[in-house]
Amino acid sequence: MSNNPFPLSKERLLEAYRMMRTIREFEERLHVDFARGDIPGFVHLYAGEEAAATGIMMHLNDRDRIASTHRGHGHCIAKGVDVKEMMAEIYGKATGACRGKGGSMHIANLSKGMMGANGILGAGAPLICGAALAAQKLGHGGVGVSFVGDGASNQGTFLESLNLASVWNLPAIFVVENNGYAESTSVEWAVAGESYVDRATGFGMPGVSVDGTDFFAVYEAAGEIVKRARDGGGPSLLECTMVRFHGHFEGDAQTYRGKGELEDIHANKDCIKIFRNRVREAGVVSDAEFDKIDNAVVALIEQAVIEAKAAPLPKAAELLTDVYVAY
Amino acid sequence: MTGPVVGIIANPVSARDIRRVISHAGCLQITDRAGIVLRVLAGLAASGVREVVMMPDRSGLRGYLTRAMSRAENAGETKFPELRFLDMKVSGQAADSANAARQMRRMDVAAIIVLGGDGTHRVVVAECGDVPIAGISTGTNNAFPETREPTVTGLAVGLAATGAVPCAAAFADNKRLEVTINDRQEIALVDVAVVRDRVVGSRAIWKPDSFTELFVAFAEPTSIGMSSIVGLLAPVKRGAPYGRRVIFERPETAPFRLSAPIAPGLMQKVGVQSVETIKLHAPMTPTAPAGSLAFDGEREVTFSHDDEVRIILRDAAFRTIDVSACMAHAATKGRFVEADGALSVFTRQLGGSA
Repeated sequence: MSNNPFPLSKERLLEAYRMMRTIREFEERLHVDFARGDIPGFVHLYAGEEAAATGIMMHLNDRDRIASTHRGHGHCIAKGVDVKEMMAEIYGKATGACRGKGGSMHIANLSKGMMGANGILGAGAPLICGAALAAQKLGHGGVGVSFVGDGASNQGTFLESLNLASVWNLPAIFVVENNGYAESTSVEWAVAGESYVDRATGFGMPGVSVDGTDFFAVYEAAGEIVKRARDGGGPSLLECTMVRFHGHFEGDAQTYRGKGELEDIHANKDCIKIFRNRVREAGVVSDAEFDKIDNAVVALIEQAVIEAKAAPLPKAAELLTDVYVAY
Repeated sequence: MTGPVVGIIANPVSARDIRRVISHAGCLQITDRAGIVLRVLAGLAASGVREVVMMPDRSGLRGYLTRAMSRAENAGETKFPELRFLDMKVSGQAADSANAARQMRRMDVAAIIVLGGDGTHRVVVAECGDVPIAGISTGTNNAFPETREPTVTGLAVGLAATGAVPCAAAFADNKRLEVTINDRQEIALVDVAVVRDRVVGSRAIWKPDSFTELFVAFAEPTSIGMSSIVGLLAPVKRGAPYGRRVIFERPETAPFRLSAPIAPGLMQKVGVQSVETIKLHAPMTPTAPAGSLAFDGEREVTFSHDDEVRIILRDAAFRTIDVSACMAHAATKGRFVEADGALSVFTRQLGGSA
């Protein structure tokens, strides 16, 4: 360990890389398969944003709950949901995480603490207040983490949740994934007060902004924030400034982007490339070790697609099962 | 346009890092920052400055300022100087402050007023050359800029810029630490800390176990941040022709331990092995073979055995406006007194001579 300059062991660094690469490969495969017309429904891809989900989720366990967004595949994978059941879900198959009835925007796995991707913008924040309240009452040290995009951060549900979490001192963490665009509207045109940190302050909780393309920046800040919440220090907001590699949805022509913007993002803001270069240059992990993970991940995703395609569709007789909740 | 032009570089996004979570560091909302700029402008106007040029931003500052100035004008309130914004591309990063400082230097502005913490001031000083700066604390750690009401800073800068206060009184020379890492050049206005972590991460430093060494240009007993360690052990004035170097050791084995406010709201116990005086212009290298360098409290660059790191303390490296001296001069000269002879009346009443 003495020649490892990072705040994570080599084993954990490899784990982080595998997680980010799995998300990337999963999303890039969907990008291709959606264009080919293989995927029913709609997908919003997380490619480019992997360091945020990974840097945060590495501090969580299965008892901690997260609530995700419409762009939720990365959160699911980082929270430990099986990629094969995710792929099957996106393909609408009976072997999917939600028996094929949720699709991309409703993947959930409560045993992993994944309360669900969510097609309703800003809807995850109140859910996580409930999960955090449960953790607080049960006293087991669990936390709730809600993800929201820069656009959905303007939703009343999100702002009400900040208030609730603060007045109840909940172990809740609000992550704003600021990729610069609410669908096609630049954040500069849509967020009054301009700063998420300012918003948190207004609700009496600390806010922190980090470079979301730097895994180590996210990992370190999230570590402090999660620890604070577990120890009873209350809620916090974490803004991760980041980039999205693809459009808002698959098929988005992205005419709202500046000239050369996408090229710049791919060349200079690829969080996986930044991570890999830094760790390799420090001599901790070799290219061969990284390549081995890459190959394993490609094989895993390929297998997930093969199995998803081969899996049966839900039966018509099960149309109404697993859809409604009885209290 | 005749008369001096004053520049303003207001970092709209300082005070956003992890220190809000670990130590209750402050957060200044954008409307508060706009209010500070307006108070600076009011002070500048009162001192005779007619033209101000400002760094543009895309965090809302420009919009709030424009709106407030227009409202004040409609209401017949405070007369502000003419305010225009530099024509430059806004990135939302520290590069904006550097770019603005370069442009203002080329324009030969009389002074640059900086709103930010130590990090913002460091970026501006690296580019402003001989242009004097006046700092206003709006950052997380504010060891370099003094805490003062911005109206008064505006008044003092105006007095210096218009020549109402002679140069000898208006400006002060400052030291800085110059750091080279192979071909890369960096500076620090207050301190350079060497820490064990070899990642920049969330930038702030707050874990004493990671500290190995500290170089300071100045350190006052009232300092906040890493320089407070020296400020509480062996203070160094801003104008003193030397600095200090501290070698840390883990608190459990160190010859002595010191509690110091190494970040706003954060008292930490550090283990100190030695403190020595460093001379001007003498190159030094860190004792640790690898780690990160934190400039004025923020990790900026990592280094390892293969890198050549050199640290030098320089004097007369950049100029600041001595706000206290400017205002003292103005008071002595009755600069803001309107009635002829009034000053001598007051002075006689106080038992002095006019």
